[in-house]
Amino acid sequence: MTYASYIKDKYFVLIIRAVAVLTAAVFLVAFRVNAGAVIAMSVIFVIGTLIADIIDYKRKKDFYEPLLCSLRDLDKKYLLSEMLPGPSFLEGKILSDVLLSCSKSMADQVASYRLLNKEFREYIEMWVHEAKLPVATLELICKNSVDFRQDSEDDPSVPKIRNQIKRLDDYIENVLYYARSENAEKDYIIKNISLQKIFGNVAVKNRDALQAEDAEIRASGLDVTVLTDGKWMEFIIGQLMANSLKYMSLERPLVITVTAEKTPEYTVLSYRDNGMGIPEEDLPNIFEKSFTGTNGHKNPGSTGMGLYIVNNLCRRLGHGIKVSSVKDEYTEFRIFFSEDKHLKMS
Amino acid sequence: MNKILIIEDDKTLRDELSLLLTNAGYSAEKVTDFSAVDTLIKNTDADLLLLDINLPNSNGEALLQEFRKVKDTPVIMLTSRTGELDEVLSMSYGADDDITKPYNPTILLLRISAVLKRTRKTGQEKVYKGIRINSLKGSLTSETREILLTKNEMLIFQTLLDRPGEIVSRDDLMTVLWDNNEFINDNALSVNISRLRSKLSDLGLPDAIETRKKQGYVLR
Repeated sequence: MTYASYIKDKYFVLIIRAVAVLTAAVFLVAFRVNAGAVIAMSVIFVIGTLIADIIDYKRKKDFYEPLLCSLRDLDKKYLLSEMLPGPSFLEGKILSDVLLSCSKSMADQVASYRLLNKEFREYIEMWVHEAKLPVATLELICKNSVDFRQDSEDDPSVPKIRNQIKRLDDYIENVLYYARSENAEKDYIIKNISLQKIFGNVAVKNRDALQAEDAEIRASGLDVTVLTDGKWMEFIIGQLMANSLKYMSLERPLVITVTAEKTPEYTVLSYRDNGMGIPEEDLPNIFEKSFTGTNGHKNPGSTGMGLYIVNNLCRRLGHGIKVSSVKDEYTEFRIFFSEDKHLKMS
Repeated sequence: MNKILIIEDDKTLRDELSLLLTNAGYSAEKVTDFSAVDTLIKNTDADLLLLDINLPNSNGEALLQEFRKVKDTPVIMLTSRTGELDEVLSMSYGADDDITKPYNPTILLLRISAVLKRTRKTGQEKVYKGIRINSLKGSLTSETREILLTKNEMLIFQTLLDRPGEIVSRDDLMTVLWDNNEFINDNALSVNISRLRSKLSDLGLPDAIETRKKQGYVLR
């Protein structure tokens, strides 16, 4: 707020004043008052009102200037009402009252949605655990039916059913981690855990699908421990593996190469497949929500959620994730686990 | 025969578990009334407990804590929660292992036999038809000679040995191998088995492993 803009804003007041002074002067002259007295009165009046204007300008400037300043600097603009300087004039008081009650009501609204969201999330988690029960039972029924009739390894429907159960389980898992990754709640435990164990669990879980494709797994150097949450990491690698299976090259059998490398700052897990790769123009967007890209359009099973959740979980766990790919050659994900310096010192 | 007590409130799951364990050669006992489950398990003579973490009227963790005060029977927790926290907690309450639903049935059986083996303080060295098996060294020793097995061959041989006279499917062998971080494919399994066979025949047991067409293998 500059003085010029302030004056400009009050131009009609100034015009009225000027007209009033002029009219008064004309009248006084008409009544034959001494010209010197008329000029003196006009000057006093003009100076008086100018001083009043300057004082008013100063009060407003003292209020609005810091206000605009904090608005500009504030990262979360809705906190502005907390930063209000006490106004010394009526309009300022009205403005600050309005702002305060607006943000109060907004805070209430946000709180109620947060509660709803929390309840929904809790419901989803509970639902996931309930849904896992029948999935577990189905698994057992399949296994038992094979054991029961020793010839049923021959029965082609059992592996198919198991395959579908696996898919169902994956989707259920997806929901769980999506619900978790969107929320700030910290229900994970970071501890030292071996990459071998994490990758092993994922591989065993996907064994049927991998074997059906006659995929080759080359795992080496995984005998290192990293600081992470085991379950979350398993989910992340599981997603990468699911993608490898989904976007295989049609020309060659799937090969998944997993290695880990320790540097002073990071342990880097590299996960690479020889699948159809990601077109260069899609690469910057693959971690975005609902992005399916060129490959996704060809594949009806693409939801655009998998890598988005992966990226989210990595961020929450404090791991970096990078992707590199050449179309029709390979896709490689690298996950960076930082070394804990505090742990090392002890 | 080892007796396993199943404490799981979902009836269908419980019945299937019991069927699975019976097929695998265990005697399975089910808890169906959960009103006095705490005293019931304290008086059990089972060799191992499968304990669900979510039970009506009580929770598995508290139950386990109580149980541990009087008995040291091995316990495997069945968790449906996927949180890491449960794992840590159930271990700290004295579970010997835990497995998350939905579990791969073969892996569940593996875990059970691993826990039973660990807690049963029997000698580590097994003997099969005059051949001593040293799993730590990975060697088979007869009167006259010693043969070294690779990790894969040893895993296959031990799996067959754990279930003598029974048909072990290729799928089960694969599960064991993959569970031990050997991610081999179908062809490699055939190669490993034929190598194991030729090593056994070097020790004078040419027909130890019999192939049952489309079913698996039997160690005679």
